[in-house]
Amino acid sequence: MTRKKILRIIRFLVAILVLSIFLFPIYWILITAFKQESEWFTTPPVFWPTKFTLSNFLGTGSTTFGTTTTSIAGIIPFLRNSIVVATTTSLVSTIIAAFAAYAISRTKIGGTGLAGWFISMRFLPPIASAIPLYVIFSRISVLNTWWALILPYLVPTTALSIWLLISFFNEIPQEIEEAAYIDGASRTQAFLQVVLPLSAPGLAAAAILAFIQSWGEFLLALVLTSNASAQTLPVYLGRYITGWRVAWGPLSAAGLVTMLPVIIFALITQRYLIRGLTLGAVK
Amino acid sequence: MILPAIVLFLVMTIYPFIYMIYNSFTNLDLSKKGTGQFIGLKNYFEIFQDRLAISSIEFTILLVLIAVPLEMIFGLGLSYLLRDLFGEKVLRSLFLIPMMVPAAVGGFGWKMLFNFIFGPINYFLGLLGFQPIEWFGKLNSARMAVMIVEIWQWTPFVFLILYAALQALPKDILDAGKVDGASGWKLFMYIELPLLRPIIYVTLLLRIIDVLRAFDTVYMTTYGGPGSATSTWSFYAYKVTVSYGWNIGYGSALCVILVIVSAILINTLTRILNIGKELGLSKE
Repeated sequence: MTRKKILRIIRFLVAILVLSIFLFPIYWILITAFKQESEWFTTPPVFWPTKFTLSNFLGTGSTTFGTTTTSIAGIIPFLRNSIVVATTTSLVSTIIAAFAAYAISRTKIGGTGLAGWFISMRFLPPIASAIPLYVIFSRISVLNTWWALILPYLVPTTALSIWLLISFFNEIPQEIEEAAYIDGASRTQAFLQVVLPLSAPGLAAAAILAFIQSWGEFLLALVLTSNASAQTLPVYLGRYITGWRVAWGPLSAAGLVTMLPVIIFALITQRYLIRGLTLGAVK
Repeated sequence: MILPAIVLFLVMTIYPFIYMIYNSFTNLDLSKKGTGQFIGLKNYFEIFQDRLAISSIEFTILLVLIAVPLEMIFGLGLSYLLRDLFGEKVLRSLFLIPMMVPAAVGGFGWKMLFNFIFGPINYFLGLLGFQPIEWFGKLNSARMAVMIVEIWQWTPFVFLILYAALQALPKDILDAGKVDGASGWKLFMYIELPLLRPIIYVTLLLRIIDVLRAFDTVYMTTYGGPGSATSTWSFYAYKVTVSYGWNIGYGSALCVILVIVSAILINTLTRILNIGKELGLSKE
């Protein structure tokens, strides 16, 4: 008994150690975001800031690095773009997916083939969309607009949401709708007023997943947008990282702003996120 | 009701793909006027003579052959480490964070850690008595760095799947094995591992499909360097089309092959997962 207990404690300590290694990069971004400039580049590195400062966020620090990177004051338009693009994508994709998933769930339209085709859209390499879309969007002058991102983002998000929502609708008994028909509701009315409210948790999960996916997307944003009028937060990070001496403090602050909403949302919707990411291999 | 979805996928995927296939047979170059003529399979032949393309495909394959198996081993190890441990729920959630953080942010974090002079990694190596490593400066160390980031990001994913699968193993079979005297290593090798095999295949496929998309990490850490040592398939296609040249024709040819490889893997995946049955669309 005691031997077993000791073994468990060792196992627990090893788990904590491994966890610390896995979380260390996140920790590093977190503390660097609050480090004052004198502690960004030191040997040995500073593992705990002597003084936590907000200057990386507010831009009140000194200006060794010039104006563009001493603070994330310039981040506002990027933040706005990220919010607009991710929110719109999330809403539109959930609506499109809800309709399609409901049709598939109730009529089995298209069968396995169509459902498989829908889902495969989730896995295609983004570079393969980015290149032709760059040419197409530049010809119809959509490049560097919110739509240049929202439209391609709708593909993987809708695909994933359709897949998630089919199982949700499958779980809602058809008798409930039939009761609504008897009461004189039309098919659309039954869907909007009976089925949708019942599947609200599923819809919320799908919307949040879509938000997370579009919020963190990098490649398409990098190719299809070119300045602050449409670029999103990950591209903001990517823009300032090339070069030898990047201003670590402000970039970490920007990194923090970029990852915080995702981590929070992801932890809330963990179960669905996992189901979605693993295509149901994990329930 | 299903129409909006079909229209979306036709317009945003099928149409661009067809356009891309068409482009791959032309010499379209956005930086040069009067390009876009049909040149047949020339772009495709060029891939085989392009040292940089081959090296990028090579590195992508290396990721599949080295990083993915390591992710599988670490992920499996982690799921055993956390099995039935106290606080497993909280630990599991915390382990998921690397996978949830946007890859661009994770890559940036690692870029700081790997810094030659000021980075904590070389500092720790120094404490252990090792020479500092010029992580992004040499072929092997740069490749190792990218792999470390990939492994960091995706081991949690493998862990997550295998951990859940481990919990779901049929208790009666495990008990029967224990009654027959199997324990520890034997139980794992002869009973648990065979039971886990199908889910391991699925995880492997999911990972390989994803490695084909690997881009963000490379862009944020090494930018494909030194030379093109850590350029991946996706990254190289990006480089020839957007970053260094505007050779859309050639980049499209690279992407067409990439899509074909992906499509084959995706198709295998959906068949193994038996999507139709999972979604109640067919009985088998």
